[in-house]
Amino acid sequence: MAKVPRNFRLLEELEKGEKGIGDGSCSYGLEDGDDLLMTKWTGTIIGPGHTVHENRIYSLQITCGENYPDKPPEVKFISRVNLPFVNGLNGKVDPSKLPILANWTRNGTLETLLTEIRREMASSYNRKLPQPPEGTTF
Amino acid sequence: MSLPKETERLLADPAPGITAVPHDDNLRYFNVTIQGPDGCAFQGGTFKLELFLPEEYPMSPPKVRFLTKIYHPNIDKLGRICLDILKDKWSPALQIRTVLLSIQALLSAPNPDDPLATDVAKHYKENEKDAIRVSKEWTEKFAK
Repeated sequence: MAKVPRNFRLLEELEKGEKGIGDGSCSYGLEDGDDLLMTKWTGTIIGPGHTVHENRIYSLQITCGENYPDKPPEVKFISRVNLPFVNGLNGKVDPSKLPILANWTRNGTLETLLTEIRREMASSYNRKLPQPPEGTTF
Repeated sequence: MSLPKETERLLADPAPGITAVPHDDNLRYFNVTIQGPDGCAFQGGTFKLELFLPEEYPMSPPKVRFLTKIYHPNIDKLGRICLDILKDKWSPALQIRTVLLSIQALLSAPNPDDPLATDVAKHYKENEKDAIRVSKEWTEKFAK
C-alpha cells in the first residue's frame, strides 16, 4: 500500500476541508494560506445541541508537525472551554486524556479529530459541565 | 511492477535541467528540482518540487507541487500546479519524465487564461511587463 507523504496528505485534507465536511458542525482550514509547510490550522466546532455548548462556536488551533500523520497533531482551544481533556490555563488539549490522540493512527485526520472532540462535548459527563462566559478566549 | 524500472531510467538518464530522486524510505515519493528555462522570467532559478505516485499510478496521474515560492499564474500559493495532464488529460502512457518536462515548459509559457493563482493571472493580463518583473524578483529571492 502506497504511503501518502505528509504534504500530499495535508493537501488532500485541505481540499476536503475547503469543500466542507459532514453536516458543517466542524470545519478547518489553513491559518495562513501562504504557508507552504501547512503547519498551522484553524478548526471550528459548533457546540452540539441539547448540551451546555449549544449555539456556541469554538475556535481551535491545530499544529501538524513534520511527522504528521504518523504522529498526532497538537491541539489547543482558542475559545475558553471547560472540558476534562483541556488545560484550564492555556487551552491545550492533553493528548493522554483524549483517546483519538492517545491512540492516534494514520487513519486519523483533522476531520475525525474535530468530530471526536465534538462528540466528547456531548458525552453524558461533559454535556452539563459549567462553562466560562461565551466569547472569551484563552 | 513498472515503478522501479521507470525510476531507474529516470536516475540513469535524467532530462536536461531536471532531477528526480526517490526518498530512501518511500520509493513513490521524489525530491525534484527543475531549472528555470533560459529566456523566461524563471531563468537561473532552481525550483524544488515534490512528486508522489499514488496507489493508482499509472492509471492516475502523479501528484506534484512546488516547494519553492514562485510567481506564476498557473501555480498557486501552496505550490499547486494547474496543468491539464495532471488532471483530466492524464494518460497512463505518460511518465514522470513527461510530467516534469511539461512543468518545465509551463515555466516558459505562463497561461493567464487558465489561472490557478487569480491575482497573479490578473497581473499578467493587465501589465505583463510588470508581472514578469515580479516573477524575476521572486526567482532571485526564493530560487537561488
